[in-house]
Amino acid sequence: MNAVAAPPSTASSPTRARVVRSGASSRWWLWLLVVAIGVFVPKVVTSPFYLSLVINGMILGVAAVGIGFLMHQCGLVMFGVAAFIGLPAYLVGLASAQLGLGLNMAVLLALLASTLFAVLVGALVVRARPLPFAMLTLALAQMLKSVATLQAMRPLTGGDDGLAMTFNGTFLTLTQSELAKPAVFWPVAWIALCAVLTLAWCAGRARFGQILRATQANEERMRFSGFDTYVPRLIAFTLAAFIVSVSGVLIALNSAFASAELLDFATGGHALVAMLVGGGGTVGGPLVGALLYTWGQDAFGATGHLELFTGIAVVAVIAAFPQGATGFVLQLWRRERKADHGGGDAARGADHAAR
Amino acid sequence: MDLSQLFNVAQLANALALASLLTILASGLALIFGLRDAMNFGHGAFYMLGAYLGYSVSNRLSFWAALIVVPLLLALVGAVFELAVLRPLQKRSRMDVALITFGLALVIGPAIYKVWGTAPLSVEAPPALAGSVQLLGTMYPVYRLFLIAVGFGACVALALWLKYTRSGMHTRAVSQQPHIARMMGVNTDRLSLLVVCLGTGFAGLAGVLAGPYLSVDPGMGASILISCLIVVVVGGLGSIGGAIAAAVVYGFIQVIGTVLFPSLAVLAPYLLLFVVLLWRPQGFGRGRVA
Repeated sequence: MNAVAAPPSTASSPTRARVVRSGASSRWWLWLLVVAIGVFVPKVVTSPFYLSLVINGMILGVAAVGIGFLMHQCGLVMFGVAAFIGLPAYLVGLASAQLGLGLNMAVLLALLASTLFAVLVGALVVRARPLPFAMLTLALAQMLKSVATLQAMRPLTGGDDGLAMTFNGTFLTLTQSELAKPAVFWPVAWIALCAVLTLAWCAGRARFGQILRATQANEERMRFSGFDTYVPRLIAFTLAAFIVSVSGVLIALNSAFASAELLDFATGGHALVAMLVGGGGTVGGPLVGALLYTWGQDAFGATGHLELFTGIAVVAVIAAFPQGATGFVLQLWRRERKADHGGGDAARGADHAAR
Repeated sequence: MDLSQLFNVAQLANALALASLLTILASGLALIFGLRDAMNFGHGAFYMLGAYLGYSVSNRLSFWAALIVVPLLLALVGAVFELAVLRPLQKRSRMDVALITFGLALVIGPAIYKVWGTAPLSVEAPPALAGSVQLLGTMYPVYRLFLIAVGFGACVALALWLKYTRSGMHTRAVSQQPHIARMMGVNTDRLSLLVVCLGTGFAGLAGVLAGPYLSVDPGMGASILISCLIVVVVGGLGSIGGAIAAAVVYGFIQVIGTVLFPSLAVLAPYLLLFVVLLWRPQGFGRGRVA
């Protein structure tokens, strides 16, 4: 986890670049080891309740990682996350029922179509400034929800009743009933999550991420310097939407059910809150937030005041810890290290460059 | 498809009724945005609070009392909102404030369900406004005419205030050039207390008016918030004139869509949003670019 949770720092000096590069390969091995060990968690934790709780947290985490990436790299907050959770979930069901595709193909088609949709929508919305962007994506989710519940779409989407799916064939040798079992579904969710984390981390560290952050800092100056600022942002939006779509596909695979609720304002709210609570400044932050959020949902859900607590959490976290839980912990850790060695300035400088 | 339906007086009036409700809400939203530079995602929740308070007050006293009392109560809520949320956070980024108001909306909603329950409630129009009236050959509910009158009356009052009073002039100045207005000696804190109270009071007014027109139910805040955001973006962020024009256009598109393509009407507002943003990204009005 450590390798991922580290902020994607830009190399601020040649020496630092060399240090990072020589440390990178060993970190990669460590990360692969963590991924490999994680697959076998169900062998140790056998309680289906806790497994499915963590799986829910991981699925939410995938979506949160996507929007966290977009927020950190571009400064754009996607309010309508639900659009890219619900759309691929419905597409998996539609591809299975209407096109008669096998499950593998249906999943592939759902991801592709959702990503393509993101390109089309993104071409319009990434032109907008952050605030109109937030509202436009919110409107997009609401629009998809209206489409899904249209009377004319009822034979396809099931309207307000939702779409119960019957999969054809298997997903990577797993049948529909097996996918519903937490212990069997765990590796699928785990590997998807790790892949998504790696993707977001690499994209953030690459030159691409640097361009995005520089554009966020001063778009005009980037344009003067001869950079195209539109295409990288579009790619970032598409990437974020793809990551969120993965979470939608996971939901469809696990529950074999899609409903208009998935496209609701509130579903997007969950991922958004999770990302903010965890902190968007690091790749792993949104995941931490999602796990905390799912735990909180379980703890407070019984009291029936879930939304109330969610709202209070959002207000408190943003007012008191604008960087989220991980950002706060990292800040504490850096201050500690600075007090110990007096060498925290370089790290802070690098961190500052990454913002 | 009978095109003459489009020019039906009743349809026209329906469009105006929806538009007047949206105008009241969107102008409040635009006012707060102009002055505090904050998009209030809690506006839908304030409107819902207004509607539920309106339900209670009209049951205890009368609808007319609700029409006076509830906006005042909501203005009080607005004062708290300004002093406890917007003012301490004015140095923070726009997005932070937007997210906090979003969080507040999540808090206000369940608090309302706790008090009034989640079942839809209905508010009766007062006897004087019940029934229908002959309007150029068709029967039309009196209450909707009243709604149109109050809605546009409120907008005219707002426009007059903005144009002819000192505080209105200051509000316009701050909306356009906050720094320069402050340098010229406008006390933005005192002004924004007034303007935020006005904005939330308008949300309360819209809530009370919506009672007999739509039903009072738990989903009303979220659904109208989206419409309002569309109106404000289409009208140009922070531009009050633009918001009024956009609300009227929104009302017409919604109602005409319902007549022409009943199944696709729900999509019309979103299409409007996308078309306007492609054609004129800054919206109708001369608002500050956000």
